[in-house]
Amino acid sequence: MESEDYLYDSDAEETTDNDHYYYSDKEEEKKMQNIAVGDGDDESRSNRKAKQSYVLLKESDIQQRQENEITEVSNVLFISKAAATVLLLHYNWRVCDVQDEWFAGEERIRKKVGLFEKPVFLLPKKLREVELTCSICYENFRVSMMGWVSCGHPFCRDCWEKYVSVAIEDGVGCLTLRCPEPRCNAVVDRDSIDLFAKKNDKERYSQYLIRSYIESNKKYKWCPGADCEYAIELCEGGGDECYDVCCHCNNGFCWNCMDDAHRPVDCETVAKWQLKNSSEAHNTAWMLINTKPCPKCGKPIEKNQGCMHMTCMKPCRHEFCWLCLGPWKEHGETSGGYYACNTFQRNKEEGMYNEAEDIRKRAKKHLEKYTHYYERWAGNESSRQQALKDLKQMQKNYMGRLSDIQWATEAELKFITEAWLQIIDCRRVLKWTYAYGYYLPEDGNKKAKSKRGFFEYLQGEAESNLERLHHCTEKDMHDYLNKKCSDKEFNNFRAKLSGLTTVTRNYFENLVKALENGLEDTSSQEACSTIRSRKPRKGERTKGKRRP
Amino acid sequence: MANSNLPRRIIKETQRLLSEPAPGISASPSEDNMRYFNVMILGPAQSPYEGGVFKLELFLPEEYPMAAPKVRFLTKIYHPNIDKLGRICLDILKDKWSPALQIRTVLLSIQALLSAPNPDDPLSENIAKHWKTNEAEAVETAKEWTRLYASGA
Repeated sequence: MESEDYLYDSDAEETTDNDHYYYSDKEEEKKMQNIAVGDGDDESRSNRKAKQSYVLLKESDIQQRQENEITEVSNVLFISKAAATVLLLHYNWRVCDVQDEWFAGEERIRKKVGLFEKPVFLLPKKLREVELTCSICYENFRVSMMGWVSCGHPFCRDCWEKYVSVAIEDGVGCLTLRCPEPRCNAVVDRDSIDLFAKKNDKERYSQYLIRSYIESNKKYKWCPGADCEYAIELCEGGGDECYDVCCHCNNGFCWNCMDDAHRPVDCETVAKWQLKNSSEAHNTAWMLINTKPCPKCGKPIEKNQGCMHMTCMKPCRHEFCWLCLGPWKEHGETSGGYYACNTFQRNKEEGMYNEAEDIRKRAKKHLEKYTHYYERWAGNESSRQQALKDLKQMQKNYMGRLSDIQWATEAELKFITEAWLQIIDCRRVLKWTYAYGYYLPEDGNKKAKSKRGFFEYLQGEAESNLERLHHCTEKDMHDYLNKKCSDKEFNNFRAKLSGLTTVTRNYFENLVKALENGLEDTSSQEACSTIRSRKPRKGERTKGKRRP
Repeated sequence: MANSNLPRRIIKETQRLLSEPAPGISASPSEDNMRYFNVMILGPAQSPYEGGVFKLELFLPEEYPMAAPKVRFLTKIYHPNIDKLGRICLDILKDKWSPALQIRTVLLSIQALLSAPNPDDPLSENIAKHWKTNEAEAVETAKEWTRLYASGA
């Protein structure tokens, strides 16, 4: 059989599934309208997000796109799809380059990529029935039992199979594999791989092909999530600016720096912060230890749930805040306190440092400040991780049970998933606001001071709402998992949780917006007034629903 | 036993190596392992290695000929592409290996490498530097080493 005798048979034909996942502003808006109540700034949000759309691609989508480009080149240049693939691989999947170069000098390109127009090793027709020695295994074969690529050098099928298999085993280099004949430049194209390779090897080869497609094109990236197989395409106008992408695997990352998603903080700050974390790792080792003593009874406590509201084991039952270790009753507005754990209060700021400004003290002060922010940054991240786990657990183990016990359809229980997703997203934002806060100037003019004050106010408001939401989702939920309660009671719970979700979302959106605007006065006032105007509404909604 | 199931290719190659040896090269398989060859290469004329007899060992791994043979100099040699352990920097022994190459072609390439050292792709940095900064002196050292280590065989 000759290598030209068969037609290209692509896997892509089987995978015509065009199930793309578009995350455009439209979707986003729809979601907002469903959930957000009375939010007046839809327009500005959609303006900001208009350029931020991306597409999640699964393997079959990528294959489809790849196939389209191969077909295009194949049609325009009148060459086989396999030859078109060779050219596209050589020009990093840039269709225009392939066409330009080809028409500028077909012969030169053929030579370069190893696509021979005529074989250099000629087998006279009458020799077809004669035996030739395979120069790899030294066995004799009828010519009809041998195989070759565009150069015509014949080798037996067994040796071809092994040769191709070794190359594929070796890695991505197999995409530009050459004829085994020493110094022969002829490429072993896809058709030949299909002809010679074992099934497993063919599959691995197509994986490499897909990888090369994504990795050589700037508008595509693989989701960096472990074991995630999705690729992301940044749509037109995306540009290079800091830009969060969220994949199906729930992994959020920044398109620009590939670090965790970190909106509203910019990539530069994130890089600075991460570098700082790694360089201060020694100093902060103790922070990584997950236990803290109960401020009342002194027993070590491990934080095994996401929210900051801690309750010590019986008989102590002391309730305190994980962050500041202060009594929880001083937290939150209903108890008359003010949630202020986000504010870094420079220790004994006045009067304490009037001794000689000694370096050691400054270093200590610096470390204390860093520790404050690092702890909150890391704490929110671990809360987020825990929330991710809790959400999975909820979806896997409890949704069915809850649905049975409370006689509610899964769709009616969607508010729980939404609450968890909101928590996860807010924990992420909150985490990064602590990196932001660390770099926000502390001293200086009135403007800097008011900026910091405004930032801490927004952050504190957002955080206290998030804590309420997290608490409600995490703890109150348990009451409904085991016993049937009245419809009214459950509806109240639903209303409370949905309300908290919405309110928290609004607070975080304001926070994000304010930070993205650099806490500029004009926008600050606007955001401030938005928050103030919302306050009564939030009050109404949550009034009387606090746990006893 | 290593010698049972020896691929036909290895048997044929061995036969040919023994019956029609390449000039200046001898390679014979070890008695207890047919994949292990004792090799001798004569220093090529007009090279600093002229007059020397260089011993090498060559081993055909299980994957041969899909994988390259493993070859190394046993005789000490002063050469920019050969290190003090006798390892050889030669493209066909690495990424340029092709299963259509053979023991014979490999040994001929090594012989050619002795005639034409390539200090731009060195394995031994010091020798290569020596070669590039003062070739005449490096060649003298190579001659000296040939006399010292490669003449007694």
